Amino acid sequence: METDKNKHVSSQLSAYLDGLLSDKDKQLVENHLAGCETCQKELEGLRELFKAFEEDHVPVPSDRLSTQFDLALEREKSAQTKVVQLEKRTAPWTKNLLKIAASVALLIATFQTGRIMEMEKSNDDVAILREESLQIKQTAMLSLMENQSASKRIQGVNYIEEFPNPDETIVKALANRLLKDENDIVRLHAFEALAGFASTETVKSVFVKALEKEKNPSIQVGIIQALVKIQEKKAVGPMQKLLEQEDTQPFVKNEIKMALPKII
Amino acid sequence: MEALSDEILMQKVAEGNLDLLKVLFDRHHKYVYNYLFKMTRDAMLSEDLTQDVFYKLIRYRGSYKGGAFVSWLFSIARNNLKTHFTRDHKFHDPIEVLDYRQADNEQDKQEEYSQLQNALDKLNAEDRELIILNRYQEIRYEELATIVGSTPGALKTRVSRILKKLRVIYLESN
Repeated sequence: METDKNKHVSSQLSAYLDGLLSDKDKQLVENHLAGCETCQKELEGLRELFKAFEEDHVPVPSDRLSTQFDLALEREKSAQTKVVQLEKRTAPWTKNLLKIAASVALLIATFQTGRIMEMEKSNDDVAILREESLQIKQTAMLSLMENQSASKRIQGVNYIEEFPNPDETIVKALANRLLKDENDIVRLHAFEALAGFASTETVKSVFVKALEKEKNPSIQVGIIQALVKIQEKKAVGPMQKLLEQEDTQPFVKNEIKMALPKII
Repeated sequence: MEALSDEILMQKVAEGNLDLLKVLFDRHHKYVYNYLFKMTRDAMLSEDLTQDVFYKLIRYRGSYKGGAFVSWLFSIARNNLKTHFTRDHKFHDPIEVLDYRQADNEQDKQEEYSQLQNALDKLNAEDRELIILNRYQEIRYEELATIVGSTPGALKTRVSRILKKLRVIYLESN
C-alpha cells in the first residue's frame, strides 16, 4: 500500500479524467493526488488540455458531401434490383429449380407437339380412309346401276344416301337410269334420288327431258310436282304436250292443269 | 430506426436495405470528415476522402461481417488516407498543385489555428492520429485497438504517454 501510494499516477490521469477507472483505482489515484504536488500539477495541465479539445473548433464539411452521397446512394439503389436478380440466379437451389422447370416445360411441349402431329396424321388417315371408302362406294354404286338385275340396279340407285354431295358421274348415272331404264321401279327410285338435288341445273334439265319421255303416270306426277316446286319454266312445253296427248292418264292431266298456273 | 445501433443498421444495409445507409451517413460523416481534416488540414481533400469512405461503404456493404461499426468505418477512412499519401508519394504532384497547396495553407493560417492544433502538429503522424481518434471521435480503446491493430491495454498506456507529451507541448506554447 505504501509503495502504491507513493508511486506517481501520471499514466492513470487521463483515464481518471475520462471517468474510466474502477472505484478502487479511482480511490488510489485520489489518495495519491492528495499528497503529490507533481501529479496534481500534471492533472491540472491535462485538464486544461482536455478543455482545449472540447473547445476546439470542429470543422464542418460542406453540403456538397451530403448531396453527393445521396446521389451515389440513389444510383446504387437503382442498380440494386439487377444485382438481386443476379444473386438469385447464382443461388444453386433456384438454378436447379429453373432447370427442372425448363425440363418439365420442354417435356410438355414435346408431348404436345407429338400429340398434335399424331392427331393431324390420324385426321389425315381418316380423311384418306373416308375418301377411299367413298370411292369404293361410288364404284359399287355405278356398277350396281349397270347390273342386269333390276333389284341390284335399285340397290345401286339407293346408294345415293351415302353421298350428301354427289359428283357429276353419279348424277349422270342416275339421270341415265331415269331416262333409259326399262324398269319402272328403277326409274321411280332414280327420280326420287335425283329429286333431292332438283335445284341443280343438270337435274332440272334431266327432269324436263324425262317428262317428255316418261310414260309411267306415277313418275310423271312426281316429276310434275318436283318441277312445280322448283318453278322450272322450261317444263311448261312438255306439260302442255302431255295435256294434248291421248294416252296421258286423266289424273296426270288434272295434275298438269293444277300445276301450270302455279308455274306461271 | 434512429434508435437502432450502428451495427444493427449496417447489418440491415448488408442485407439490402440501402436506405439505412443514409442514417449511418448522417450519424458519422462529420466525425470522419473531422478526423481527415485534422490529419490533412485540407478541407477539399478531406471532403473528397470522406465521400470516398462512404462510397466504399455502399460498394462493400456486403463485406461487413459484424463487429463494431465505428472500427470498420475508421479502418476504411484510415486506408483511404494512407492510399492517398502513398499515391502522392509515388506520383509527385505537379508544381502547380504544390503551389496551390501552399497558398491554401497560408490562407488557412490566416484563420488561425488554435494552439491545440499547433501542438498536435508537433506530434508525429501516428501519435497524432491516435489522439485525434481517441479525443475527438471518442473512440473507445477496444475499437481503437481494432482500427490500428493493437490491444486496448497497450493503447491505453500509449495514449496516456502521448497525452503527457502533448500536454507539455501545449502548455509550453501557452
